[in-house]
Amino acid sequence: MNKPERIFQTYDGWLERHRDELQQGWRKSFETSSGIPVKPLYTPRDLEAQGWSYERDAGYPGDVPWTRGFIPGGYRKQLWEIEMYAGFGSAEDANKRYRYLLSQGSTGGVSIALDLPTQIGFDSDHPMARDEIGQIGVALTSLADVEVMFDGIPLEKIGHIFTTANCIGPVAFAWLLALYEKRGTKTGECIVQIQNDPIKEYIARGTQFLPIEASVKLATDAVQYCSTEAPEWLPISISGSHMKQSGGTCVQEAAFTICNGIAYIEACLKKGMKIDDFGHTVELHFCTEMDFFEEVAKYRSVRKVWTRLVRERFGGITERAQHFRLHAATSGRPLTAQQPLNNVARITLQALAQILGGCEQTRTASFDEALGIPTQEAARTSIRTNQIIAYETGIPYTVDPLGGSYYVESLTKEFERQIEATIRQVDEMGGALAAVRKGFFQKALAQGAYREQCAVERGDQVIVGVNRFQGDEPRPVPVFKIDPTVAERQFAKLKAVREKRDAAKVQATLARLRQDCASGANVMPAVLECVKAYVTIGEIGQVWREVFGEYVPETIRL
Amino acid sequence: MSETTAGRPIRVVVTKVGLDGHDRGVKVIAQALRDAGMEVVYAGLRRTPEEIARIVLEEDADVLGLSILSGAVVPLTRRTREALDAQGLEDVLLVVGGIVPVESRTELDKLGVKGIFGPGSSLAEIIGYIRDNVPKERAL
Repeated sequence: MNKPERIFQTYDGWLERHRDELQQGWRKSFETSSGIPVKPLYTPRDLEAQGWSYERDAGYPGDVPWTRGFIPGGYRKQLWEIEMYAGFGSAEDANKRYRYLLSQGSTGGVSIALDLPTQIGFDSDHPMARDEIGQIGVALTSLADVEVMFDGIPLEKIGHIFTTANCIGPVAFAWLLALYEKRGTKTGECIVQIQNDPIKEYIARGTQFLPIEASVKLATDAVQYCSTEAPEWLPISISGSHMKQSGGTCVQEAAFTICNGIAYIEACLKKGMKIDDFGHTVELHFCTEMDFFEEVAKYRSVRKVWTRLVRERFGGITERAQHFRLHAATSGRPLTAQQPLNNVARITLQALAQILGGCEQTRTASFDEALGIPTQEAARTSIRTNQIIAYETGIPYTVDPLGGSYYVESLTKEFERQIEATIRQVDEMGGALAAVRKGFFQKALAQGAYREQCAVERGDQVIVGVNRFQGDEPRPVPVFKIDPTVAERQFAKLKAVREKRDAAKVQATLARLRQDCASGANVMPAVLECVKAYVTIGEIGQVWREVFGEYVPETIRL
Repeated sequence: MSETTAGRPIRVVVTKVGLDGHDRGVKVIAQALRDAGMEVVYAGLRRTPEEIARIVLEEDADVLGLSILSGAVVPLTRRTREALDAQGLEDVLLVVGGIVPVESRTELDKLGVKGIFGPGSSLAEIIGYIRDNVPKERAL
């Protein structure tokens, strides 16, 4: 006679009964992209073993430690912002694209990509600039360009302006402060956000042109100035995405960003600022790649770790200081030039991971980004991808729907542990700046990139359409071309600005800038005066180079 | 073999030219060439063609690898080739990696640059190309 079927099974019994089958798999081993081993199944026992408690580790949305999100009602109250990062050619060209994106439902304001000369403090007519004008972002040389770029765009209606000015952070702030003043817009009517995070430039992004100490000083001058002159603005966005795209794991992305954040906070505190006054204006920015659950766990754990750090390390008493802005962007790096339409699926999954990670501010890449600047159609498809998730799937109807998943909670807890271990390691080296000087971050990223390339070439890591499933030649997609007249147009505009402006004022404001840089004063008032006198980015950059010295590229013998 | 006929390892300088700061790729290549037995110097970001030629001369390199992702690949490669030639380094093998549009390939070909490696190139391919094309008898 058969035994009656047992209704309640135990985990050990399940493991025992299916041992052979559980050892089989289409991969040799299963692990996350950060190398965390993934078990076949997660149960309450995993959480128990990690000492997880619902109240302490997950909690409630809107309440510390914010693992489940900053907003009590999540996306029910308000959907995530759909931000489209864009910029190319001249200010006129970029202006047209911004107007188009706003008309298509981009709710994340105007998000400005700058060209390399601008980011490195060169005017368009600098000899180093000539081949790069307007190529990977918009070319801006003076306030005149900024005025054109926002022509016909109602600042008070767009909500938010972002740009990746890093080593030129103070100039970007000054441009927008001057624009607001000219237009009579109040700082609270449209929130300006400048990336203003030079440290990671020395690690991964590469637009540094001054010694690192000088760059940190300039960045934190802007943070300090904003805290009183534009208190609604977000003066720094400490960014991990470029470090991940340079070869970092998800854990390294989170941990290195927080280490850099510690360095900025310390620099601000040294200026006499109080964490309770500016903590809430800090943004942490990450990118979302393909390891879905790891990305969700990253966003959940980062909220928890940063909040604790502000409270315990920096003594931030108010909940406001512990509440930061978390910004997520899908990553261009996993997007492939081969079979580019496959990238729509990649972008959808990345967008979903950052949404399920509880990010209120999100940016989405476009499917043709491995080929060039997005076409209008590709950019519109990304807006639509967000709208489909928002309006057709029911995903936003409840807060943190993955909360309570044994796997996601376990991974969140493990992320927290590993991030904190890396922070301790960097602390022991003397902090982020010391770690940069030692090449610690740079080496870790370069090794990661090499490891990944080898794994792809061995076939251990599959990239669909690249090292497997190559198939037929892809249907060609249109590639965006930048108007080749951009350089000539820039030269003409720059010449006109230089002729029209008051030369004496230019000299006087540049002299004050030089003086303030040399004396160690906050540079922002002087930069603002320069900008209003239509002093160019190259002229300001030149003063900085002369006073602070130039970044010297390192030669590495392997 | 990663040796020249002079009996020493192949010496490679890899670097970024122009303003583009994306150096993930160039650092991957540097590590791969090292592991293939070559002596590798990564000369860093934003070097001018003249600086690069000087470094190649000082390092007595056999090969120069340029990494360019920003779209200015033809003018930057041309100027670097000219700077090398001006230093009497006509025999240094010039290899270009990064984003190289189809029409730029023809232009580079005219400059005599045959080793062009865009996205999807394998490390083995690049190592093989250098081994096969490195000048066998460099004037020492």
